[in-house]
Amino acid sequence: MTLTWIPYGPHALLFRFAERVGEEALARQRGLVAELERNPPAGLVEFVPAFTTILLEFDPKILPDPKQAAEGLRRRFKAVARAKLPAAPAREIPLRYDGEDLEALAKAKQMSVQEVCELHCAPVYKVYMLGFSPGFPYLGDLDPRLHTPRLASPRPKVQAGSVAIGGEHTGIYTVDSPGGWNIIAHTPLKIFDPARGEPNGPERAMFLLQPGDRVKFVRLD
Amino acid sequence: MRQEIFEVLEPGLGATLQDRGRAGWRRFGVPPGGAMDEHSALWANRLLENAPEAPVVEFLLQGAKLRVLRDAWVAVTGADAAANVPTWRPVRMKQGEALEFPKRRSGVWIYLAVDGGLEGQRWLGSASVFARGQLGRPLVGGDVLCRAGSAHFELPSGVAGRVVGWRERRDYESPPRLRVGRGPQWDFFTDADRDLFFAGEWTVSSQSDRTGYRLTGKPLKPAEAQIVSEPVLVGSIQIPANGQPVVTMRDGPTVGGYPKLGLVDAADVSWLAQCRPGLTVRFQWVD
Repeated sequence: MTLTWIPYGPHALLFRFAERVGEEALARQRGLVAELERNPPAGLVEFVPAFTTILLEFDPKILPDPKQAAEGLRRRFKAVARAKLPAAPAREIPLRYDGEDLEALAKAKQMSVQEVCELHCAPVYKVYMLGFSPGFPYLGDLDPRLHTPRLASPRPKVQAGSVAIGGEHTGIYTVDSPGGWNIIAHTPLKIFDPARGEPNGPERAMFLLQPGDRVKFVRLD
Repeated sequence: MRQEIFEVLEPGLGATLQDRGRAGWRRFGVPPGGAMDEHSALWANRLLENAPEAPVVEFLLQGAKLRVLRDAWVAVTGADAAANVPTWRPVRMKQGEALEFPKRRSGVWIYLAVDGGLEGQRWLGSASVFARGQLGRPLVGGDVLCRAGSAHFELPSGVAGRVVGWRERRDYESPPRLRVGRGPQWDFFTDADRDLFFAGEWTVSSQSDRTGYRLTGKPLKPAEAQIVSEPVLVGSIQIPANGQPVVTMRDGPTVGGYPKLGLVDAADVSWLAQCRPGLTVRFQWVD
């Protein structure tokens, strides 16, 4: 079982908990996050979970040299069990397959547009991590037949709500931003919405999806 | 009591409220944000005996113009944009006067603090505007800036002025070698490539902003062009496939899939922020 660490600058440690992206790695990531939330190590300012790594950043006033705490943390993390992914029903995301790159992607795959839509719509996806922009979900597991490299030249502006394929993942742009993924669909749902935060709700409510959540796309057309 | 201090007449090339940024939200994809040149922003507050986390206005280059709505002590630091008031010292401004930054001379980001601190709406624990992420918006003409706390600043009696020492006022046209430590993918690069990076001269590209500073020079070649996306810290030197470094800045993406050769020392990120497009920067290895 992989569990290694390297320093990332003077105040942070980067732990690697898996070699490969996948469900196994996600279960381990969720276990580590639960452990950090339950029992944060002294001086922890924030942590950032990703596919196979997790970053821990420390307050130098409390922990001047995190490297000295790293081995203890590694042993502790090693004992952490994989988390059970929530069995809650999948979050339904309505969408229309009307993306700018849909036809080009189908052509490159020598499939019909209809086949691409069916393959993309079929699975129940899992949120592997949030990143890139606020609340942007990296969704796996995409059918391998749809794996598509990013565009050679990113678009300067991708509209919020664009559902796209980048490499082995599919994701949803949450704010208007530059982006290099292949856009195949759009959802009217706001995946990230500052108005859902205070004073209307807890700050976390800005983010519709959390890592570990399950997602099912539902066609509007 | 809420007191209106400034009216924005012209925002110039870009103006936002910034403080020291937000912690704890990177795992939701929200970058830390905060003043690009924290060194200057902290001095602006410190000159007026404000709390270090008091919001300040960050102006990009030249062009901004404000009208004073009420007598107040203010402090301007950062880039030199030919301000019509003395900079790097507390200045007493009078109602009806204008504050303007007509012409950039050196540096990139200007900071304006007001005695008592500026009021700013807070999102996720910070007043730092993150426009791309819809957390606040840049200032526009007609916006009014208010004092958050109460005025408290006075020059001690018998003191004619107070000014930041010259050593702290940087010559943004001649940056020192910026200190860089090992990045997570340090081993992806050959000795020759690392030497090239540290011996080389890197020009700040005009495609640089609060998200990242792009550098151009002799291209580097990482052993692998892509890694599994992992967390990225501010100051990280990412090397994309074209071999031209991108230094992640305060509004940069929280995760990324490019190999990271190094990490710019946190204090030197402020230095880099003030390096204008076209300027040449060099790096120095520190362990």
